Amino acid sequence: MTSRLFLPNRYKRIGWFLLVPAAIAGIFLTITGFEADWLTTRVFAFFSEGVLEDGQYFTVIKTNVTNTLVGVIFIIGALMVSLSKEKHEDEFISDLRLSSLLWALWFNYVLLLLAFIFVYGLSFFNVMVYNMFTILIIFIIRFNYLLYKSSKPVPDEK
Amino acid sequence: MKNKIKVERAIMSLTQEDLAKKISVSRQTINAIEANKYVPSTVLALKIAQLFGKKVEEIFFLEEGD
Repeated sequence: MTSRLFLPNRYKRIGWFLLVPAAIAGIFLTITGFEADWLTTRVFAFFSEGVLEDGQYFTVIKTNVTNTLVGVIFIIGALMVSLSKEKHEDEFISDLRLSSLLWALWFNYVLLLLAFIFVYGLSFFNVMVYNMFTILIIFIIRFNYLLYKSSKPVPDEK
Repeated sequence: MKNKIKVERAIMSLTQEDLAKKISVSRQTINAIEANKYVPSTVLALKIAQLFGKKVEEIFFLEEGD
């Protein structure tokens, strides 16, 4: 894989420092529906539509950005963890990376298909929210699991 | 494909880590090749052979089904 598409190795650590707190915060927000009052602010929006309002284009709106902030930090962290080079980004690691990516693609869309077929109504909105993150999450878990597994010596190794 | 990297490594008393460093790959790569879980590229196979001072065919062998 072209190394130009990767970040230097040090970003992996920074990524984890963003990803883990954002994941914990994300789970907390989902369960409690909490929104921090001090994070209500005016933001620029390409498009905004409320339940009873008409859609507005390229406008400044006042809204709570708690979810936005946590989501952005999560995605940036997850991208850093996924796309940083390993210490030795060699051909075998690239192989693991590609297979993990394919694995994540399969898993993600099989899950989404099942959700498409079996989840209806407002709950489907939740499915879409989770689906924004699943491909990255599955990739990170699979890739790091394969790395861990292949760093363990074969049984008869001295 | 089979290989006798492990034997060659033992002869030169190199650990997986040492060998990995000498040919600048990860230790996982050496581990996977030795376990026959990964077939190295031609470049890597040549590097390994060169380090052991042997021909590629003396270290890597085709097996049935290849």
